[in-house]
Amino acid sequence: MSMMHASQVGAAPSTAHLMRWVIVATLPGIAAMTYYFGLGVISNVLLAGLLAVGAEALIMTLRQRPVRPALQDSSALLTGVLLGISLPPASPWWLIAVGVLAAVVVAKQLYGGLGHNPFNPAMVGYALLLVSFPTYMTLWAPPQPLSIETLFSPTLWAQIIGMLPPTALDALSGATPLDTFKHKGEAVLASEFWASQPLPEGTLSAWRNVALAWLAGGLALIAKRIISWHIPVAMLSSMTLLAALFYASDPSHFASPLFHLLTGATLFGAFFIATDPVSAATSQRGKLIYGVGIGVLVIIIRTLGGYPDAVAFAVLLMNVCVPLLDLYTVPRPNSHYNAAAQSKPSKPL
Amino acid sequence: MPAYEFPGGIYPPERKARSNQSPLQAAPLPSQVTLPLKQHAGNPATPCVVVGENVNVGSLIAQRNGMISAHLHASISGTVTHVDDTAITIEADGLDRWETLPPLDWRTAAPAALLERLESSGLAGLGGAGFPTHIKAKVAEHNVIDTLVINAAECEPYITADDLTLRHYAADVLEGAQLIARLCGAQTIVIGIEDNKPEAISALTQALSQMQHPATIALKVIETRYPSGGERQLIKKVLNRDVPSGGLPADVGTLCHNPGTLLAAFHAVRDGKPLVERIVTLTGDAISRPGNVWVRLGTPVASLLKGAGLDPHQLHQVIVGGPMMGTPLTTLDTPVTKTTNCLIAATLAELPPAPVESPCIRCGACELVCPAQLLPQQLHWYARAESDSTLETLNLFDCIECGACSFVCPSFIPLVEDYRSAKQRIRLKQIESAKAEHAKHRFEFRQARIAREDAEKKARRQARLAHTQKSAPSSAGDDAAPEADLRSLRIAQTAAKAAVKKAEKVLARAAEQAPKQRFEDLETQLATAQENLKAAEARLAEARANATQKDSTI
Ligand code: SF4
Ligand code: SF4
Repeated sequence: MSMMHASQVGAAPSTAHLMRWVIVATLPGIAAMTYYFGLGVISNVLLAGLLAVGAEALIMTLRQRPVRPALQDSSALLTGVLLGISLPPASPWWLIAVGVLAAVVVAKQLYGGLGHNPFNPAMVGYALLLVSFPTYMTLWAPPQPLSIETLFSPTLWAQIIGMLPPTALDALSGATPLDTFKHKGEAVLASEFWASQPLPEGTLSAWRNVALAWLAGGLALIAKRIISWHIPVAMLSSMTLLAALFYASDPSHFASPLFHLLTGATLFGAFFIATDPVSAATSQRGKLIYGVGIGVLVIIIRTLGGYPDAVAFAVLLMNVCVPLLDLYTVPRPNSHYNAAAQSKPSKPL
Repeated sequence: MPAYEFPGGIYPPERKARSNQSPLQAAPLPSQVTLPLKQHAGNPATPCVVVGENVNVGSLIAQRNGMISAHLHASISGTVTHVDDTAITIEADGLDRWETLPPLDWRTAAPAALLERLESSGLAGLGGAGFPTHIKAKVAEHNVIDTLVINAAECEPYITADDLTLRHYAADVLEGAQLIARLCGAQTIVIGIEDNKPEAISALTQALSQMQHPATIALKVIETRYPSGGERQLIKKVLNRDVPSGGLPADVGTLCHNPGTLLAAFHAVRDGKPLVERIVTLTGDAISRPGNVWVRLGTPVASLLKGAGLDPHQLHQVIVGGPMMGTPLTTLDTPVTKTTNCLIAATLAELPPAPVESPCIRCGACELVCPAQLLPQQLHWYARAESDSTLETLNLFDCIECGACSFVCPSFIPLVEDYRSAKQRIRLKQIESAKAEHAKHRFEFRQARIAREDAEKKARRQARLAHTQKSAPSSAGDDAAPEADLRSLRIAQTAAKAAVKKAEKVLARAAEQAPKQRFEDLETQLATAQENLKAAEARLAEARANATQKDSTI
């Protein structure tokens, strides 16, 4: 029986601590998003977080399992927060609720609860919403710095409570840079596209700053050893490499690696989504392959596929491969490697 | 100085300063000792004293039983007051009269005499498993040993017994190492010690400089990292050799001993002192005078801790051994044994119970620290599912139960406990399936014993006959072809000898691989082989007597 635990001696965090640390590390990103996209970001996160905790409590009661420890590990809260971050700001409550139910109830609890879910719950919720409610899921208004008007705009409230008149919907919907670039049309050269100023002023720098905030949170997680570097590094470098190949082959039609890294959910996904330990590969070699796989899929779906952002699908697709990765990246102990190779002095009986 | 890496490992807080500050002292003589008959790997010893008998310190009170077993000696002088199947109790007379064996010089004494001395002194490894030392020394009969490793890493938190042993007895330990090296034929001795024991290191350096054969001894100071004191880990670290899975250090030409064992071996040879006392670390926040003490075996833990200033109100639990691999005591009436290296009287704040377990989140922290390069998380999963065949393909039996994985698990899963119970279950299953086999082997043993008794009886009669009938010629035709008979009997005897050796080897290996198990079946097979050998010898003797008788008649 071992008596010492790292957390007892202050050397390592508990699972609940891990989850809470990840939540804390999302704060810079949430702050940056709030700054550019308004209070709708916070309403998303709060609503999704609360609903997720409620859903977890409900289902634990239904499964006749202890509720308290499940809530204390904060994993449901984290799932809610991550989903809330992924949704367009000020999403209506029912949209969030559907996403949360898909994430917490279907993707997590129906598979057996914490530790047993093969798919990243937040991304299951997100993907479900994306294919079911494409209109709502592209309601990204152009970013603008936080101001009194945006704070108390009447649409914000209407939007959150899900009472937005359809006409307002059209007025709201903007496109993300990835979206716009995706639909620039075959005939348009990249240089012409950018020259025509396709996005409202400041859009690109807003996305970039948000991405850098995610990077800051992610680096903090690595520094705190909450996550290991393997997955983010593998994912980001494979994305950069592949995007660079595309870009080099035809710079007039493909986006630059930097554009891929700094827009969409790239950095958020690399540090906060792909690193979910439960649904990721476990061995170090497995993690590297897993990360590379996500990066490659993201670029391929973005450049050749139908969805502008692809992190959710890439992660879910690689989740499918995890059992295989785990099987084929089992480390082989030295004591097995070298048994035959080593000189083995022996005497006959 | 080259140091190689073993994979994984952790850095738990050392907490050694509490016990390594005060000088080594002798604990007061206990008024009563309880000596368990099983303080070593293998079968319990068999008592050879009765209640009421007077004994001296060092009197043999129980004899080893079977090959993997060790003698037991009285650790105080006094009267035997209780003998049962598990322990012998002695009441002290306060005189502390000693009974020692004649001194030997390990440089000149015959190896057989040295082995015999290790055996008769009841020596067993003082590190943890308690493997009988003379059996380990005999490994050289089956394997070429080129290096003896002194395992002075002492990587568990709290424990400082080896540290203090080396500070006080560096030269003696080194001589003990040379003695064992001589017995097993090792040319080189390597001391592996963690760099958190500067005083022990300087004591060793000084002793080395005054040594007569310093050339063969190398001191390797290694980084402090748990579990560098694991045999395999240390051998990797200081020699860059990988002990094969399921194998022993002997398979890579190595033998490992801890300083306490070497010291005891040296004292047994030089002073003829059987193993009746050892150095124990007393530590933990619940005692006010922590330190290391010489303790007579059988001393109750309670009186020892009381002597060290135990505060019963502060005490939460007492752990024997280190905080990583040790076991909590259920009662303080337990005696100190040959393998007790440390007693931690811990307060609740010091070593709180593990928080409630939560589900595994597959974080992989356990895998990163596993020195055996296993997948603790998968092992945990399959151990709970009782998928024993998968557990074996995942090399469950390579797990050294170091607890590094449990230490880092953020979900507080008691991983090692899972592995221990899985191992237990698999072994039980194997024993179950071996039961029929064992019954057969017991039957064979009985047959062999009867045959041996028969043969011996005949041999005795023949010898008598040969003696009385020297002058009177016997009737011819008693044995038709004594010459041919003699030869085949000699062959049979040689074969029987080989069979005994083989059985010994198999048993020694099995016991060293899993010292905490019992090996009745293998012991029975060995006993059968021994009976066969005795029978063969008796038959041979009979035939020889017969032949001389014939000769004399011709
Ligand atoms: S350290 Fe614990 S939670 Fe993490 S993978 Fe291992 S068993 Fe699971
Ligand atoms: S207890 Fe076993 S599985 Fe866990 S780290 Fe140690 S060797 Fe590896």
